[in-house]
Amino acid sequence: MASYYDIDDIIMEDELISTVFQIGANGVGMLDPGAERNCVEQGAKVELPFWLAHELHLRQAVAVTVPPCFNQKTRKEIQADAACVDLKSRCSYFYELGCKVAPLIGDRTIGSFLLYAFTGRYKEVLSKAHSAAFIMAPKFLTLLTKEETRLYEAARSSMTAFKKWRVGGPRFERASILRKRKPTD
Amino acid sequence: MYGRRASQLLKDLSTNEPGQLSSFDTDAFDQVIKECDAHHIELQGMMRKMQEEGLDMQTTRNADHYGAVIHHLALIRNKRCLMAYVYNRAEVIQSLRWKVGAVLPQEVQQKVNYSEEEYFKNHSAALESYMSEMEVDLTVDMVPPKDPYIKVRVLDDIGDVFLSDQSPNLARHSIHFLK
Repeated sequence: MASYYDIDDIIMEDELISTVFQIGANGVGMLDPGAERNCVEQGAKVELPFWLAHELHLRQAVAVTVPPCFNQKTRKEIQADAACVDLKSRCSYFYELGCKVAPLIGDRTIGSFLLYAFTGRYKEVLSKAHSAAFIMAPKFLTLLTKEETRLYEAARSSMTAFKKWRVGGPRFERASILRKRKPTD
Repeated sequence: MYGRRASQLLKDLSTNEPGQLSSFDTDAFDQVIKECDAHHIELQGMMRKMQEEGLDMQTTRNADHYGAVIHHLALIRNKRCLMAYVYNRAEVIQSLRWKVGAVLPQEVQQKVNYSEEEYFKNHSAALESYMSEMEVDLTVDMVPPKDPYIKVRVLDDIGDVFLSDQSPNLARHSIHFLK
């Protein structure tokens, strides 16, 4: 349960997934904006947050459809040029959601697709992080998912630490008192 | 409803700088607790309805059952969000003790809840009692020293010693600079 208190995990599970109810459910009319009475009909298409869809799927109450960020259109865009696709607007928890959704919809290709997208974008992330200019490429930052942004920040901070070290001179400065070593015996 | 307000609470928490604390959002917190109560009432209503119809609680899977399940799950979700909110704030407060010392600065004092203040005081007291028993102050020297050498005076005649980078002769009353 290491991720029970993890804020990113909780926010990620709030992403909406479109599902089709296999059963009717009473008293939960608020889930479906098109419901007339206070219940959800069987066969109704409802957008549920991921945590709810996951639990109901385990109880065989809903059928989960592919989220829009993994559909054919996105796949084609990523195959064309992975680095320029704006993943943040589609789904800022792209990778985590993909990992969790894959067993629900039984799609084996999601794993390799995620890997392909990540390797293509990672090259860009690294090269942009190590280049010199400072508030550079803010446009690029808006395309990155949360995970990639964290990687980018980490690379940035290590680059600044490195630069500081280079400018700062030798790491161990021996104190002046050490210059004259006292004679032994 | 259904955990949206609670997620909003957590999103506000995540927009903070890491290590910084915003003021405790009591309104949102109370709203989420009210939602939990509402879910609980609905849940009980469903279960009572099922009992009135004489259905077996363990095995029936009708529409009421699933409605009850959804309310139950929403309740658990709200609980998780509230726990995560309090837990993450508590972690920040803990780290504050090590960074800032035993007294909270004024601007932080305004932002924390009453129970968070108590938590800080108790944590501080536990730390103090441990440090006084061990007679060591753990909160100084949080950064390792830049200079790795210390000055050493030898008390007894030991002779030649092979250390990782030097091999001094440790005769009595001699002073060396060792790692």
